[in-house]
Amino acid sequence: MSEYMLEIQNVHKVFNAGTINEKIALDGVDIRLNKGDFVTIIGGNGAGKSTTLNAIAGVWQIDHGKIIINGTDVTKLSEHKRAPYLGRVFQDPMTGTAATMSIDENLAIAARRGRHRGLRWGVTKAERAKYREKLAQFGLGLEDRLTTKVGLLSGGQRQAITLLMASLMKPDLLLLDEHTAALDPKTAAKVLELSDKVIADNDLTAMMVTHNMKDAIAHGNRLIMMHEGRVIYDVTGEEKKNLHVSDLLRKFEEASGGEFANDRMMLAN
Amino acid sequence: MLLSLNLNSLLNAMPGSIAQGLIWGIMAFGVFVTFRLLDFADLTVDGSMVTGGATAVMLIKAGVSPWIALLAAFAAGMAAGFVTGILHTAFGIPGILASILTQLSLYSINYNILGKAANQAISVNNYKLLASLRYVNSSGSDRIIFFAGLTAGIVILIAVLYWFFGTEIGQAIRATGCNESMARAQGINTNFIKVLALMISNGLVGMSGALYAQCQGAADVNMGRGAIVIGLAAVIIGEVLFGKLCEKRKLMFAWTLLSVAFGAVLYYIVYAVVIWLRMPSENMKLFSAAIVALFLSIPYLKGKYGKKGVKRNV
Amino acid sequence: MKKMRKKLFALAMASVMGMSVLAGCGSDGGSSSGNGSSTSGGDSASGDKKYVIGICQLVEHEALDQATKGFEDALKELLGENVEFVFQNAQNEQTNAGTICNAFVADKVDLILANATSPLQAAASATADIPILGTSITDYAEALDIADWTGATGVNISGTSDLAPLDEQEKMLLELFPDVQTVGILYCSAEPNSAYQAEKFAEYLTADGIAYKEYTAADSNEIQTIASAAVQECDVIYIPTDNTLAAYTEAINNICLAAKVPVIAGEEGICKGCGVATLSISYYDIGYATGKMAYEVLVNGADISTMEIQYAPNVTKKYNAAICEELGVTIPDDYVAIVVEE
Repeated sequence: MSEYMLEIQNVHKVFNAGTINEKIALDGVDIRLNKGDFVTIIGGNGAGKSTTLNAIAGVWQIDHGKIIINGTDVTKLSEHKRAPYLGRVFQDPMTGTAATMSIDENLAIAARRGRHRGLRWGVTKAERAKYREKLAQFGLGLEDRLTTKVGLLSGGQRQAITLLMASLMKPDLLLLDEHTAALDPKTAAKVLELSDKVIADNDLTAMMVTHNMKDAIAHGNRLIMMHEGRVIYDVTGEEKKNLHVSDLLRKFEEASGGEFANDRMMLAN
Repeated sequence: MLLSLNLNSLLNAMPGSIAQGLIWGIMAFGVFVTFRLLDFADLTVDGSMVTGGATAVMLIKAGVSPWIALLAAFAAGMAAGFVTGILHTAFGIPGILASILTQLSLYSINYNILGKAANQAISVNNYKLLASLRYVNSSGSDRIIFFAGLTAGIVILIAVLYWFFGTEIGQAIRATGCNESMARAQGINTNFIKVLALMISNGLVGMSGALYAQCQGAADVNMGRGAIVIGLAAVIIGEVLFGKLCEKRKLMFAWTLLSVAFGAVLYYIVYAVVIWLRMPSENMKLFSAAIVALFLSIPYLKGKYGKKGVKRNV
Repeated sequence: MKKMRKKLFALAMASVMGMSVLAGCGSDGGSSSGNGSSTSGGDSASGDKKYVIGICQLVEHEALDQATKGFEDALKELLGENVEFVFQNAQNEQTNAGTICNAFVADKVDLILANATSPLQAAASATADIPILGTSITDYAEALDIADWTGATGVNISGTSDLAPLDEQEKMLLELFPDVQTVGILYCSAEPNSAYQAEKFAEYLTADGIAYKEYTAADSNEIQTIASAAVQECDVIYIPTDNTLAAYTEAINNICLAAKVPVIAGEEGICKGCGVATLSISYYDIGYATGKMAYEVLVNGADISTMEIQYAPNVTKKYNAAICEELGVTIPDDYVAIVVEE
């Protein structure tokens, strides 16, 4: 049994190999997460942050390397077979939920992640009570709207639901892929607050990709910086807590040997 | 000419239209499953309709009970759906193309099922058929039994489908159709689900084909031609006319299916009206296309020109 | 408001279902001796019975049109003003034939003319009481699923068959082209009548020691392909009375004429378009004969279930002068030239 919740060993991925659009997305990524780590991942565009998450999720097969989640080598597994180990929240609020189905149905589908789906009834009364309770903790009033079609909700509300869906079965790993990037500042803050709560309450191991350096510092116990498909900076605990944005910028220049000219990152601060 | 139109004769023709509409309604349920739930335009139905009909007719002529033949037709339809599903998921052929390929192959297969013939007659004089135009206009208990049976069958089918799509697997199908990446992220094997949905859908179509062939008195290798259009028309007409009504939460899905059946009946009533008006029936295709186009555009036009001055909420 | 609509909806559905059961119960009297509810307009001054006859024709093409015309002409001659025809074209769709025949039955017409196989099957399914006469149908036993064929159907159906004497057609082919090596037989696989004729024709060829090849088109899209293939491998082509090919004779002619391969046609319409010669029955004649049968049934009360299927009274050897000239085929004197209208 591995001591790590997540092990990414020397992972490589190249897109459009051999063509004019060839892009080396992951160039030997090594990450080891302990149980309970809450890692924020930052980096410029094309650094490989979301790509790392997609590699873990199995959206496509990696070219080289291993991915081990809680001791199980999932490298060769397809996306839906890896799903039992993971919870995912996406950048696009539309992606995480089924718009034409109701809140309780969406949650019910998440609740069966990893379990065999048969001819039992889709959403039981007992389940509904449980969902109501959990949603109440979010304080968004969603617990009274269990039968509302998710498509009618706002982006922030949908992300909250996706968050609950992702954490419902206490997955080994929670992947948050810039999940507040498409929300307005107030809603984004709320969703981040909910994310912290969910991770803390369930004692989850989580990886959060973000463009916002302030958020990256303020949340989680560990921070990873990526550049050109590699991890260039990895800081934990006290050292992380005492970081400033300027530290990160300097760190980046040091490690990458270039001016950190990423407008978005600057503006996000 | 209009002076010679007799309303009574139109009303007399109604039972036939209703019967045809209800039988095709079953096929429309199949189209609904793939088109609305799986977001997939499945052209296999033109072929699987005949497969069901051919299977049923050949079995009945071989002495099998029409009820068993009906089940066999369902299974035959499922097999057709399975092929399309495999072509799409295992071989990566885009959905519509996969369904067209299956439909093409089914022509030859159906021909062979019919004993290397294009048409196999089955007479209600020789067998106790489940459906027949004969029952529609008969004066005795045959007619009542037939319509009661047909209506009961539709209701039972709706109940079964309502139950099924409320189960875990049914929900998985709906999720896959709505948002495939979300479904996969939730551990749903979307390939398996798609094949399953195609099988169920074409099974329904096969069953409809079995009833239809018996009704007409023959299974003909071309009888499914244009089925997809009628199915889509039924779905869309039903939605447009009764969509608002079906928005009530309780049993919404069941009402939606009922409106699909109603849409199919309406389609055939319209055709009966066309015939009654002594309109040259070659214009029927243009007429149907116009009706479907009209119904399709109602939601869009309503949205554009309907509500005036509604402020957009920030 | 929503409740109202829900009630209306439920009411609408219930009334449709109920109507379906009740609709006929009231107006449904006894048998179909029906002047009943379906006579429209036209008072007959003399008070004679006016007959309403529903004609369901599968598709429009010359042979079927001729049969209908013959039928109508016969009855107009015999009944004068006392007959009314309701003509419906099924656009080559089985479903339409069903709807049309159902409407006829609901209307209690006095007799149904089913012109081609699908209308016959639909009419036979729709009613066991109203007399049905078929025409332009090759094999009634096959079309109606009747075992132990005796020549009459034993039910409310009779009619005329367009079965041309195939053995004589084959003899004609040999008469015109005695040196033929391989005969190509072209037809649409979706037409059971054609398959039947092809099979029989092939038997006669085999009996005479002539080789043959069959080429089938699933639908009209494949006609050009099979014609092109056939002219490569055969020196004479035979086309039976196939409805699908009959509508595309020009395309076939373009291919065959260019390849200098003559076509023997199963009926005159096809011959006009692409054939050298045909041993044709006149569809007008069998339509006319059907009309006389209708008169027997309606006016003289003949028992339709024992009326035997009638066949074409005369066959004529006909040839297409233009095509024969182009191909350099000499025609014996006993052939009649087909009159081609401008």
